Amino acid sequence: MLPDTTPVTPDAHTLALRLRFFRIDPGVLARLAALRPFAERTMSDIIDRFYEHLLSQPETRDYLDDPALVERLKRKQAAYFLGMFRGEIDLAYVQGRMKVGAVHAKLAVATQWYVGACTHYLQLIHEHLHRERASDEERRASFEAIERIMHFDVSLAIDAYIARHHESRLRHQEAIRELSTPVIRVHDRVLLLPLVGTIDSARAQRVMESVLVRIGEEHARVLLLDIAGVTVVDTQVADYLLKTTSAVRLLGAKTILTGISPQVARTVVELGVDLTSLYTRNTLSDGLDLALSLLDKQIRTIDQERV
Amino acid sequence: MTPGAHASSTERLQIEAEADVVVVRRRARELAIAQGFDAFAVAAITTAASELSRNVWCHGGGGHALLETVSDAGRVGLRLRFIDEGPGIADLELALRGGCSTGRSLGLGLSGSRRLVDAFHIETSPGEGTTIEVLKWARFPH
Repeated sequence: MLPDTTPVTPDAHTLALRLRFFRIDPGVLARLAALRPFAERTMSDIIDRFYEHLLSQPETRDYLDDPALVERLKRKQAAYFLGMFRGEIDLAYVQGRMKVGAVHAKLAVATQWYVGACTHYLQLIHEHLHRERASDEERRASFEAIERIMHFDVSLAIDAYIARHHESRLRHQEAIRELSTPVIRVHDRVLLLPLVGTIDSARAQRVMESVLVRIGEEHARVLLLDIAGVTVVDTQVADYLLKTTSAVRLLGAKTILTGISPQVARTVVELGVDLTSLYTRNTLSDGLDLALSLLDKQIRTIDQERV
Repeated sequence: MTPGAHASSTERLQIEAEADVVVVRRRARELAIAQGFDAFAVAAITTAASELSRNVWCHGGGGHALLETVSDAGRVGLRLRFIDEGPGIADLELALRGGCSTGRSLGLGLSGSRRLVDAFHIETSPGEGTTIEVLKWARFPH
């Protein structure tokens, strides 16, 4: 199993903390709710001009090449826009906002365009607020409330971006794990598993399982386990080697450990790990010779005089 | 603190995930090579770093490592400290003797690490966390 450290959607507690940090208190929410008529009145102009702006920029225009798509997005945008003036921020709201971020991340809209577009959006709202009949004080408070909730929304979108990035990184790690556990058939009933780099617990399990399956499939009699490319043989790696060997033995095959450097040999002895129950050879080529001899076969030079 | 060894620089690395174990031992390895350790000593200190940082992650619930290059009377070395605030080690004597495993492993991490280094110091008590300090000298100074 991979360690699950994906950033998650906030729960009630972290949502409360986040709202406090953005200084979105009941007063701000009430003000936003009171601005709803303003929002409904100005919405279509703001959204039209917002998309005009996006269509005028080469970086964002590429995403909006289909007029039908733009119409659909405008309708979604209207719902998004009015969402800010509900006067309530609950977990469903948070999930909705994160979903918006996730969709943009999926489309690979760079965060700079996303945040830049939000800034433009805010500016359009500002312009409309200026035309409202209200005191300077009122206007300022309204703008502040809108600014806070928009930035709050952007923070959620960025979290969604990060979560997506994190997921793709985990998927890559998975892919590398798969790629880095090749079991190679080097001879009839002889398999080779070259171990390279770092063997963490997730990879160790994966490797062991795939090697056992292959031994079964190929009716292998010998497994060559080459550790020349392993950086450190600590007790965890040693434990893994011993366990693999026992499991392989249960399948009726023998394990030969090869590629042990002088430094690894010495370190393993100092650690107190007993690997003497394993067949070991210094080099892979010696290991292959041993594998063949265990199968009553050998590689020899053809006698030139007989030709 | 190991007496007689003067630290010249200290690096702090967090150990929160299994991947951090790799980061710590890679850095220990780099420092050992830079200090002129021979290949055997590099393998020894790298392996000890791997064991002890894994302990922090596995048993200590995370913590940090301090990596220091030290010198004393012309000798140079590497001092590593592993600090966690986990449950501590209940039976230290048993853990150091080896063959004791609280997890699923060989239980040789502590005893083995001690043999791989020149000085080994451990402070632990139940509920108080664990600090382990190891020191390894470059054996063949330039």
